[in-house]
Amino acid sequence: MIASLHPPLPTPETFTLSGGCPVWVLRRSGPAIVSAKLWIRGGSGADPRGQRGRAQLLAGLLSRGCGDLSGEAMADLVEGLGDELRCEASEDGLLISLKCASADSAALLPLLHTMVLNPWLASDQISLERQLNLQALHRQREDPFQQAHDRLRHQLYGDGPYGHDPLGVEEELAGLERPLLLEAAGQLGGEGAVLVISGQPPPDLRTLLEPAAAPLWPAVAPLAAAGPGGRSIAALVSEELDTEQLVLMLGAATVPLADPRSLALRLLQCHLGVGMSSRLFVVLREEQGLAYDVGVHLPARRGAAPFVIHLSSSADRAAEATGQLLQEWQRLLDQPLTTKEWQLALAKFRGLVAAGRQTCGQIADRQALVLGHGLAWSYPDEASERAEALDPAALWEVARTLLAHPSLSLCGPAAALSAAQRAWAAHPLGRSASALLS
Amino acid sequence: MPLSPDSEEIFPSPHAFSLENGVRVVTIDQEQAPVVCLDFWCQAGSRTEAPEEFGLAHFLEHMVFKGSGQLAAGEFDRRIEALGGSSNAATGFDDVHYHVLIPPAAAPEALDLLLDLVLHPRLNAADFGLEKQVVLEELAQSEDQPEEVAFQRLLALACPGHPYGRPILGDRQALLDHDPERMARFHRRRYQPQHCSLAMAGAVEDLDLEALLAPSPLARLEATDLEATDRFPPLRLQSGRHQLRLPRLEAARLLLAWPFPAAADLDAVAGADLLTTLMAEGKRSRLVQRLREDLRLVESIDLDLNVLEAGSLGLLEAVFEPDQAETVEARISQVWQELCSAPPTDQELERARRLVANGYRFGLESASAVAGLTGHQGLWGRLAPLRHPLDLLDAWSAERIHQEMVPLLDPEKACRLLVLPA
Repeated sequence: MIASLHPPLPTPETFTLSGGCPVWVLRRSGPAIVSAKLWIRGGSGADPRGQRGRAQLLAGLLSRGCGDLSGEAMADLVEGLGDELRCEASEDGLLISLKCASADSAALLPLLHTMVLNPWLASDQISLERQLNLQALHRQREDPFQQAHDRLRHQLYGDGPYGHDPLGVEEELAGLERPLLLEAAGQLGGEGAVLVISGQPPPDLRTLLEPAAAPLWPAVAPLAAAGPGGRSIAALVSEELDTEQLVLMLGAATVPLADPRSLALRLLQCHLGVGMSSRLFVVLREEQGLAYDVGVHLPARRGAAPFVIHLSSSADRAAEATGQLLQEWQRLLDQPLTTKEWQLALAKFRGLVAAGRQTCGQIADRQALVLGHGLAWSYPDEASERAEALDPAALWEVARTLLAHPSLSLCGPAAALSAAQRAWAAHPLGRSASALLS
Repeated sequence: MPLSPDSEEIFPSPHAFSLENGVRVVTIDQEQAPVVCLDFWCQAGSRTEAPEEFGLAHFLEHMVFKGSGQLAAGEFDRRIEALGGSSNAATGFDDVHYHVLIPPAAAPEALDLLLDLVLHPRLNAADFGLEKQVVLEELAQSEDQPEEVAFQRLLALACPGHPYGRPILGDRQALLDHDPERMARFHRRRYQPQHCSLAMAGAVEDLDLEALLAPSPLARLEATDLEATDRFPPLRLQSGRHQLRLPRLEAARLLLAWPFPAAADLDAVAGADLLTTLMAEGKRSRLVQRLREDLRLVESIDLDLNVLEAGSLGLLEAVFEPDQAETVEARISQVWQELCSAPPTDQELERARRLVANGYRFGLESASAVAGLTGHQGLWGRLAPLRHPLDLLDAWSAERIHQEMVPLLDPEKACRLLVLPA
């Protein structure tokens, strides 16, 4: 038996705020909860040069005072009701997330409008939030996975829009002052914004989202336009660390979510890295005992999304782990999935969609991202149907087109790095790459 | 004072029953759930290991997925995932659980597969050797995270001689020494009806679990070793002051562990939840407000309640620049002393109560969370209506928190570990 297609999402209510921001509302029975996600295009990928870290800093400040409320007053209101209000930047957008009991939503939903239209950006709050981000950036270096990831990201995106962590770059973040943040706040919504609400919101929703006396928030509906690109220079990058394990990440910059080929990559991810029956899990972990954690990283992006396979293995097995990882990537290029592998990948893909629709928050989150990329509300359900038609030959074609030249990022002790570098140099994928040892 | 915004708030009702051999079973139907979650629980955490068994509870959890009498290694995952499902497992100090998320139509088949897998593990010698490598890699991976190393050290110092002081993963030598026979003995001893529960939540309306379980291996599971009752030592936390230097540490940590009432004392656990929330949850909590927002001494400060059977643990972590260690510690003490000198305000308590209650309510949305909660309650004989935890929160006044809970956070009673970059 193979999993059947999940039921499509119901048709939502939809309307547009007077300033232009589209609103999508999916009412659901079940617990009396509201999840609201306001997705605003322009995340860390839109940080200007010299101001990297700006989007995340602005995101953190939106809940530190707006309209008539100081940061403390906002916290008193939200925490006092026991609810959650967060704002974070990703590469492609800012996301304001509100999760609350339905009974509290009338008191909290108006905050969304005020946060984007009239944030305080008070100087003392800027210095605090900036200091916290600098400390977080600094502390990330404790994690060998983060280090390998940072190296690979720089290899794939250089100093381009996707080349830095949303937290920023230390020297540039340290120099971000109020005028620059005011300017960034003034641009919120200009590149596109969308609000998705799921659960049991109150009936007079529109009035709450757009208080009568308040000025309009000028925003446009997000259009489908390709985001930042990546680089196609394959290389080896590495960082020496005194650790037990060697961390390996092998990846390439690929295509935006809106590109039809992104669906093929998603199915390849399901095949390689989703679940305990996935190819990497079975071969590298269960058959070879090479790693505990193996997987595929493929975030949905408006621009060239990274497709990365990763594992960490004991330093003394570096050569073996590197060889196996390269072999698995090469297999994607050399042969199509078998019919069984393909069917299993499809089943997982459908299972993921169904499991990702359990809570109001999951639904609002996914739909806000899709709409924020300028895709249709029905995109996820249509993708599930399109996936049926992507046979192994079609997947193979996409793999050969988009995954031909991966880069390898390593993080670990010197001896393991040397062994891995030799394995890379001896493999066709490594031989074809220019070796940029760092 | 009514807690819920809507006093008519309705929760789905658990349907509970026991199999003849004593296994406790619970099902909960959730409106709107697109999937079913099956969750098998067993009182077979690392606490139940004998000295020659250290690390076996967790290692066994890995080995279970290597197949049963009827299922080849990896076959379970392949079949579950081909049905559109997913599965996972987790081992704790007290218990272990195995859960499957699955479309409703496939739930009966998934149930058969899951029970066969956990009750009749194959424990093949070759697979055992390979999986040992995987567990050793898991250990190495955690040793490369300085924060994990620091927490493990704190527990070792706070709980000397107690199972909670030992890493659940075990240590290298113990793992290398294990063999399949020893693991099989552990499995026979712990996976007995009196130690097991099963929960099913989500879109279960059309599933008759009693009928499905009647011919199952769970119903046939026999109590082979009738230990009258488990006797495990209560936790006696060792207070003290310690310091550790770690390489590759970028920010200093102050870790504090306090003893809190055990899981079975539901009323006290509710009070402890309120106290830790009041202290460190959100910008307006006492510690976050003072140390992060006002004094800007820390990057973060957290206080988590780890609810455990032999005695719960309150664990505080503050992250800061190394030269601020003394000030951070002094200010934490000061915040506690202020709370000793006067009860929290009613507003503060209400804030904490709503945060805890909503955290709980929001958690009831997914089938996995509900199956996990009720399966765990069933396992320890504490099954209650879903609204019960909210009623318990209502029973705490600011004065009662002040008298009964605040003294528990005395820094003198804590095990303290300062962790600095080497």
